[in-house]
Amino acid sequence: MNWNNIRLIYFKEISGAIRDRRTLISMIIIPLIFYPLLFLGIGYFTMMGQEKSDSLPSIVAVRGREHAPELMEILEKNEKIDLVYFEENPEKALEAGKIYLLIEIPEDFNVNKSQEIPRNIVVQYDSTVQYSQVARRRVTNLIEDYRQQIIESRLEQLGLNVHYVQPIKTQWADISSEERKTGSILGMILPYIIVILIFIGAMHSAVDITAGEKERGTLATLLVSQLSRFEIVMGKYFTVITISATSMILGLIGLSIAFLTPAYALGELPLIKINFSFSIFFLFFLVLAPLVGLASAILLLIGIFARNNKEASTYVTPIYMGAIFLGMISLSQGIELAEPMFFIPILNNSFTFKELLIGIVNWKHILSTLISNIGIALIALFVAAYLFTRENVLFRS
Amino acid sequence: MIQVKNLTKVFHDKKRGKITAVNNIDFHCQRGQIFGLLGPNGAGKTTTLRILATMMAPTSGEVLVNGYNVVKAAHKVRQNIGFLSGETGLYDRFTPRETVRFFGKINGMSENEIDKGMTQIFQILGMKHFQDVRVDKLSTGMKQKLSIARAIIHNPPVLIFDEPTVGLDVITARVVIEYIREFRNQGKCIIFSTHQMYEAEKLCDEIAIIHLGKLLSVGTLENLKKDVPVGDLEEIFFRLIEKESRI
Repeated sequence: MNWNNIRLIYFKEISGAIRDRRTLISMIIIPLIFYPLLFLGIGYFTMMGQEKSDSLPSIVAVRGREHAPELMEILEKNEKIDLVYFEENPEKALEAGKIYLLIEIPEDFNVNKSQEIPRNIVVQYDSTVQYSQVARRRVTNLIEDYRQQIIESRLEQLGLNVHYVQPIKTQWADISSEERKTGSILGMILPYIIVILIFIGAMHSAVDITAGEKERGTLATLLVSQLSRFEIVMGKYFTVITISATSMILGLIGLSIAFLTPAYALGELPLIKINFSFSIFFLFFLVLAPLVGLASAILLLIGIFARNNKEASTYVTPIYMGAIFLGMISLSQGIELAEPMFFIPILNNSFTFKELLIGIVNWKHILSTLISNIGIALIALFVAAYLFTRENVLFRS
Repeated sequence: MIQVKNLTKVFHDKKRGKITAVNNIDFHCQRGQIFGLLGPNGAGKTTTLRILATMMAPTSGEVLVNGYNVVKAAHKVRQNIGFLSGETGLYDRFTPRETVRFFGKINGMSENEIDKGMTQIFQILGMKHFQDVRVDKLSTGMKQKLSIARAIIHNPPVLIFDEPTVGLDVITARVVIEYIREFRNQGKCIIFSTHQMYEAEKLCDEIAIIHLGKLLSVGTLENLKKDVPVGDLEEIFFRLIEKESRI
């Protein structure tokens, strides 16, 4: 194996890739521009929607308002509630979105407060309408306030203190730091995004420099040169790794810009505070590097095996979907992996990332992840190199 | 320069079973000679040339190129050959200069050798005016000239051309044929496959007629005419195929 020959192939492929608009789009434009804009956009529109529904008063219709004057007073006083009369078919108005809530008060509602029979209020709302949900939250709070008032006045009549019905008061204190909270949220979404970035960036070029070369007939010209087959495969492998890693790093930079912009990047996240120690940062990339190597080896293997671009794309799709699925498992909270599961590629990365992002360094998990990913990457690479020596693979028609 | 002895190549296909693409063929080709492999599609020409170019290994038999065995000394063989086929493509996003420089480098040439060789070849092939234009902007003729330049940059003594004129217009095909003659004059050994009779007749010093993997006849055009005295090469070709079919 001559490193100089590998370098020749590598630079040829890289310079071809950077002249290819499709590679530039998948390697630079999508991770550095498209993803941040997507996240900022989602965050911005979620925030705008929330702000709008929070600022607008809720239009609420009441049927039988004369039966609950005290409750009506509470509702009327609240400036975020806009009480309206809808004597004729208020249900239809609710359905049409003209009102957001319909309260029905029965005739016998306002009898003696001390009567020990609960009275029902029926409230209709539309769970598919954001404004209706906001109205529900507001009215629930007001009814709760009113209920509390009744309890207090009943207790007062009986000469009892409010603590009589509240024997225990619990105070909750969250001990997690801001960084840990951020890490926990990032741990959910980041592995999934990283998997997408690694695959999206490398997919096109991995297929183009293997199956694409077969299709265009340029491969034969390499095979009759003085390069060995293994040198050609290695040159191409390093190319795919470079493109995949670039896409991922640019993606992470793009996402950092999005997350660090105080534009409510994720809707719920006002501003992400990233304050990882150097060792966590190092371990994060230590675990990430073999994943790039693994994805590149698998994509290269598929590209070498396939007859042409089209066939390679067909083979890549299920692999990509499978990778996304494994990456997506990290999105669900509460799942804990058993030790042997840390040998499943991508899944192990997701969960190791999760741990690292909240500051846990579990060497057993890190080593399992490294061993498994490096091992499978090497196997895939050797199979790719082997296939590259097979006539029935190189000259399939 | 090229010696092919009892060469056989068998493929195994899941649907069609065992296919003998090349069946026990023998021939040899000298320095300063154009040797033509003539046969219809599927005759075994491409397989034979791929074996000569070390892209495929023979099932049995022996092939020597400039004295080197294509299996045991594949690397040495590749130093001695230039390969061009109608199917070989070029890198669209590179210019002719970049393309030729790359192929010079991967054939072990130094920058100086490449510069010298490239200037000379571009001059001979009339490529100077498009040497810095991207390949995807070139005409078919220009591309074919570049393919030739790419194949000969390392000045190999043996040239293997597999249907180099297929798909080319008459003018470009003529240019290619002119250069093949020129390479013979330079003393190179050229093995050339075609399914076009007139090309073989015009160009080749020796012709091997190949059909369904078998070598039906080999020799100079005069010798072939002596053996099968029926007129031109086309008639000889069909007569040989008919004879083979009867057997």
